[in-house]
Amino acid sequence: MALIPSLPLKARLSPLAFQLQARQCLPSRRTLATATEPRPKTPLSKTQKEFLDRALRVNQAGELAATLIYSSQSPPINKAHPHLRPLMKHMYDQEAGHFKKFNELLAKHRVRPTAMYPVWHVAATALGWSTGALGREAAMACTEAVETEIGEHYNSQVRELLAWSDELEGRGEELGDELKVLIQDVRRIRDEELEHLDHAVENDAKEANPYELLTGVIRAGCRGAIWVSERV
Amino acid sequence: MSLPASTLRAVLRTPTNLRPLLLLQHRLGLQSSPRNPSSSTASYHSYDHPAPAPYPPAETAILSAALAHVPTTGFTRTALTTGLREAGYPEISLNLFPKGAFELVRYHLVTQRTQLNTRVQFPDHDSAAPISVGRKVRSLILARLRGNADAGVVGRWQEAVALMSLAENIPASLKELSLLADEMWFLAGDVSVDSSWYTKRASLAGVYAATELFQSTDQSTDFRDTEQFLDRRLEELRTVGGAVSGTIEWMGFQGGAMVNLLRSKGVRI
Ligand SMILES: [Fe+2]
Ligand SMILES: [Fe+2]
Repeated sequence: MALIPSLPLKARLSPLAFQLQARQCLPSRRTLATATEPRPKTPLSKTQKEFLDRALRVNQAGELAATLIYSSQSPPINKAHPHLRPLMKHMYDQEAGHFKKFNELLAKHRVRPTAMYPVWHVAATALGWSTGALGREAAMACTEAVETEIGEHYNSQVRELLAWSDELEGRGEELGDELKVLIQDVRRIRDEELEHLDHAVENDAKEANPYELLTGVIRAGCRGAIWVSERV
Repeated sequence: MSLPASTLRAVLRTPTNLRPLLLLQHRLGLQSSPRNPSSSTASYHSYDHPAPAPYPPAETAILSAALAHVPTTGFTRTALTTGLREAGYPEISLNLFPKGAFELVRYHLVTQRTQLNTRVQFPDHDSAAPISVGRKVRSLILARLRGNADAGVVGRWQEAVALMSLAENIPASLKELSLLADEMWFLAGDVSVDSSWYTKRASLAGVYAATELFQSTDQSTDFRDTEQFLDRRLEELRTVGGAVSGTIEWMGFQGGAMVNLLRSKGVRI
């Protein structure tokens, strides 16, 4: 398999470096003032609607995949390493919370789910089964790879929404509460994903063998899935 | 905003009161592509930043005046011209409606869809006797069909269907149909956002389109035959749809059961 090192993945940030950068570039300290009196709001532009439409759709698909990965990984991992049971359950519960959040947002804002829903369902379950079967390190490497991509993905969404907010403030307007709350939600979820990343690294994700192949393939798969879910 | 010479000439030839409309059309790039009042394909629905009305005031005035003549003159250019005249615009402004009579059909579809929420009100879902989503969908379909009767277009509906079936109008017509199905599921309070989202909308669109066509031939009082036709379609959907989703669930169950079996045999998956 000579093709592995040629993947451009090594050029990307290592998970920890990315994590540090992510936490620095978007400090959670920055708070958004909540509206005191209602002001008339400019309708969202076509591009803005498209952005939100895609963002919510892809987030839901990602969280669907995450819950399935954990639930199909957990049985073999818990059996072989009973001490990991609370951690696996904690991560699963957080993913289930994220999934529920985006399901609600899709229904509320009338965004269609991805047409690839059944495909991601099967793919994520298979990924969970296979990494779970490979053992603890492989399962953790899977989490590390997925969370690296997902963390970056959520960060870019927060960045975009904050840019809208700045632009509106420049015009003496402000973002509606629904978007302010969305920023808070996406930030909280991103922080939880980065927490999963920490747990994965603490639990020897780097020891997985073959680490490069596994994380490389999974990260490339995540990016592909994000690209497709935004569009289809 | 810079306008190409051809557009500028068209603008100057247009009556002053209609120029803003034409400029708007130009800005939105609507002249070459079919005009679509529900423009964006993105479905994100904002509550804080509500979308503008589907038609600007001038078009609303013209098209609603024209629609009032459909019961007598049908979905025709004649109705459109009468509407223009009544709304105080010269006949030359007919150029603003390049799709002719189809614009009337679409105006009817869009306004009926956006007003559907005012036709039916359901009690809060925590009330004593909650209505099932299925019953709500049925009421919504009947309410929407009543909209055709109230507008007096039932006897003219086959003309509308003919216009909608023209190749160039098919995409816009299907778009409207799927938006209507989406509106109905939304108003019925359905919140499922899995793969059933697609099957639900597709099957409701099919039932609705068939029932609407049936309505145009219905001679019974109060469209009682249409109601029965609808009930038969919904019943078929319930039995056939149940079988399909049952099969998918069964396959998922078999997959899960197989893995559990292998796990019990000591296979580490
Ligand atoms: Fe998550
Ligand atoms: Fe996660």
